[in-house]
Amino acid sequence: MSMSFRDNINSFNVSNVSNHYALAEDRSEILTWLSPLEPRIRHQDLRTRRADSIGEWLLETDEFKRWCDGAQREEPDHAILFCCGGPGVGKTYLR
Amino acid sequence: MVVLTCNDTSSLVVDKLCDMAGERNIAVSCFYVDFAAREEQTPTNILGSLLKQIVGGLEKVPDEISRTFQDYRKVIGGRGLRVAEIVKILQTVTSLKPTFICIDALDECVERHRPEVLDSLRKILQKSPNTRIFLTGRRHIRGEIETHLGGRAAVLSIKPNGDDILGYVQMRLSKDTSLGAVDSGLEDEIIKSLTENIPET
Repeated sequence: MSMSFRDNINSFNVSNVSNHYALAEDRSEILTWLSPLEPRIRHQDLRTRRADSIGEWLLETDEFKRWCDGAQREEPDHAILFCCGGPGVGKTYLR
Repeated sequence: MVVLTCNDTSSLVVDKLCDMAGERNIAVSCFYVDFAAREEQTPTNILGSLLKQIVGGLEKVPDEISRTFQDYRKVIGGRGLRVAEIVKILQTVTSLKPTFICIDALDECVERHRPEVLDSLRKILQKSPNTRIFLTGRRHIRGEIETHLGGRAAVLSIKPNGDDILGYVQMRLSKDTSLGAVDSGLEDEIIKSLTENIPET
């Protein structure tokens, strides 16, 4: 058991013996506590509805590449990329 | 006809980043804002959800979070983190490795909540220079983004090209079960007719 792990247990409520066992199992409980929302489900849904290869040109643009590659080099100038669409590029799918 | 939406763009980028995460040690976190879910999509939940995905990718939940969780659960009924607390933890966990945060359709976030979300992103960037933020939304929120994120955002317009339209039409036709009568000749004709009439953007 690492030092930090032990310190962590000792830092709260030592009278509750079950804490020793609870800590590792708390992981999913902690994640739910951080947020009950599951955006990954929405992501899976959208990706299955997206046409193959649609919009792939975007990944080849200088703007995207600069933004994406800059993460390794810690370039603050290219930290944010905003992709905007007019109303016609829309929010909803054609039904 | 909506061929290439903000949703498409975001899911494409998130997929690309997830592929990269398989090869490199990076973290990817996404959030899809949806006006229909505006009641539950508060700044606390949006930022908490981004944090949750990053923490979920770590081998171990950081002690700072476990400790706070244990402390707060003792409060009657339990207590969640506040935005300032979430931002502070995000500043720490995003510094562990290059982190990509993607927020789709920011314009669908309730107007009074948007400044808090954007200011939180700015605070994360200030402490964590290897964090990247990807946003989509309608053009009219560009000013807000520039104001709150210090005018540092690169802007890219989403305009479908000919290949996008072709791919989209083919997908629609292949999924259209009611058009049993569409043979390949008719399909070619539909595609030809539509793609020949793409307006110049």
